[in-house]
Amino acid sequence: MAGHFCFPSAAMVLLIFVCFVGRAIGGVSFSTLPRTLAVTASPKQGQVLMAGVDKLKVSWGLNQTEKEGTDEAYKKVKVKLCYAPVSQQNRGWRKTEDDLKKDKTCQFTITTQPYTKNPNPSSFEYILERDLPSASYFVRVYALDGNDKEVAYGQTTDAQKTTNLFQVIAITGRHASLDIAAACFSAFSVVSLIFFFVKEKRKAKK
Amino acid sequence: MEEGVGTPGSSMHGVTGREPAFALSVNSPSIPTDTTAKFDLPVDSEHKAKTFKLFSLKNPHMRTFHLSWISFFTCFVSTFAAAPLVPIIRDNLNLTKTDVGNAGVASVSGSIFSRLVMGAVCDLLGPRYGCAFLIMLSAPTVFCMSLVSSATGYIVMRFMIGFSLATFVSCQYWMSTMFNSKIIGTVNGTAAGWGNMGGGATQLLMPLVYELIHKIGATPFTAWRISFFIPGFMHIIMGIFVLTLGQDLPDGNLSSLQKKGDVNKDKFSKVLWYAVTNYRTWIFVLLYGYCMGVELTTDNVIAEYFFDRFNLNLRTAGIIAACFGMANIVARPFGGYMSDWGARKFGMRGRLWNVWILQTLGGAFCLWLGLANSLPISVFAMICFSICAQAACGGIFGVIPFISRRSLGIISGMTGAGGNFGSGLTQLLFFTSSKYSTAKGLSYMGIMIMACTLPVTLVHFPQWGSMFLPPSQKSTEEHYYSSEWTEEERHQGLHQASLKFAENSRSERGKRIASAPTPPNSTPVHV
Repeated sequence: MAGHFCFPSAAMVLLIFVCFVGRAIGGVSFSTLPRTLAVTASPKQGQVLMAGVDKLKVSWGLNQTEKEGTDEAYKKVKVKLCYAPVSQQNRGWRKTEDDLKKDKTCQFTITTQPYTKNPNPSSFEYILERDLPSASYFVRVYALDGNDKEVAYGQTTDAQKTTNLFQVIAITGRHASLDIAAACFSAFSVVSLIFFFVKEKRKAKK
Repeated sequence: MEEGVGTPGSSMHGVTGREPAFALSVNSPSIPTDTTAKFDLPVDSEHKAKTFKLFSLKNPHMRTFHLSWISFFTCFVSTFAAAPLVPIIRDNLNLTKTDVGNAGVASVSGSIFSRLVMGAVCDLLGPRYGCAFLIMLSAPTVFCMSLVSSATGYIVMRFMIGFSLATFVSCQYWMSTMFNSKIIGTVNGTAAGWGNMGGGATQLLMPLVYELIHKIGATPFTAWRISFFIPGFMHIIMGIFVLTLGQDLPDGNLSSLQKKGDVNKDKFSKVLWYAVTNYRTWIFVLLYGYCMGVELTTDNVIAEYFFDRFNLNLRTAGIIAACFGMANIVARPFGGYMSDWGARKFGMRGRLWNVWILQTLGGAFCLWLGLANSLPISVFAMICFSICAQAACGGIFGVIPFISRRSLGIISGMTGAGGNFGSGLTQLLFFTSSKYSTAKGLSYMGIMIMACTLPVTLVHFPQWGSMFLPPSQKSTEEHYYSSEWTEEERHQGLHQASLKFAENSRSERGKRIASAPTPPNSTPVHV
């Protein structure tokens, strides 16, 4: 029984020690980012789009009210499709965190491209991917510096993420051929069971 | 034929505690070999095998073993097939955390009822047809998973697929017709552990199949649907194998089995009464809910947990999750072995301490798993948790044969149901609402495991003692096991088998029995 006690005490010590070690170095904090980009997207408030079929057009550029030279550090832009709060409810895997490394609000990248002052605003046309889930979305653009760290952002909605949201309806993923195959194999399973059962009962009677 | 020999749960194996937990053969002096029979393995007078040759496929004994455990394994694969694919399914069907949690509860609840029905089905049709019926009739439910398009459909399908876990009953029943009762404990324990491994294997298999299909060109929302055809095919293939290659009895005669099944040697109502009124039954039902139950819960939540918490891809999360379930291959037998080892030294008190230590440690590691912030620590905690929880399962079944001789079958069945119930309860409490993150849920589950293991301190056998109390001087094993029979029944001599059991169970006194002579011919001298 002594062996039974060595192991847990060692484990307890290890537990206390390592609970405080191994905390990952955090990423950029979203609340520190200035909102310097003006972003617009083609879908209007409440518009419904079909995944895999419809397109949307995003335009972004430096806000007119910003001083000259604010965007000196901006080297790239990352345009992302983000979940609106109503689609994050009761879904912890889409939770908003201030630490951008842990943040799960924006899970789909529309495009990543170099930041240019001309044309202003820059734009991109995007066909909605077929793996987009049904949800309410908005578009956010991050400005990245030379180290690919976020330094500024802009988004199509307000700070509370309640205005100017649009819906995407996902594909079902079902196909008629799948339905037929499932029905055939199910029928085969039941029929072959009955066949064997009846066959053996007949043999037993003889 | 001796009364009760060969019925599920009647095994005397491991009873003395001096037999090693994994005796793989029975010696001839104690059980005579039937030399007229022409089987690959030595058999007893009923043509049940006396030895266990793992790598043989010869008809009928070893073939039955392999058909049986692989069928059970297949049903575990399909019941937990959705779990590693939840990150994709939840986006396709727009599921909330509540939906995912409810589906997990549904997947383990169905078999509580189907296991009870399966016992009756095996009595009526035999275990081969019981197994085949269940596995072939649940194949459509697996295929129909690819048709679901809403949360309700998803929950209903997982509930229906969960019925197939009743193959556990047909598996154990079928083996007891093929293997001598002295080795049936090992045989059934191995089959149960290897079947449970299916819950781990599926975490590896399904993401692999999904990625293959996705690479070939299907979109994610179609690929996961096609993936479900693989467990579906496994059902059909195993069903056909069982029907064509299996046989009900060593001599292949189904009708004589049906004749035996009709004769009820003991009254069901009495057996149920003695099971239900023994407080130890309920304590072990609770305990099993917090070792097997949490194992099933973890099978359902762990892949999604690693996917979300550490941002791994589906395949990596699946590999890590698989390690949890696959530990069953050694962990469960290890628990049984530690139970027997404790019994040799300290008797029943050793067995009880073994259960408490293993299960409490399991709870501590589960708590640690929820708190761990880095991937390597998390994986290490998970592996320790799996080994302890699964060993505790094995350890619990080291004690169950001693709770009652008369009602052993029902108590085993109730304990098994307790496992599923515990799984449903923990998923409902900790993994269905958005109040807690999955990490917090795991930690709370760990605390609950430790709390719900405390009742084992209350289990007291008058003749052997409990964790903290010594045995009472005047109590004997005979008194304990005879108290399950009324005066009348004892007059009629119906309790003879219990008396014999009591004699053999004296080894649960631990080292103290060194002076008591073992009655000759009642236990093997060496195995």
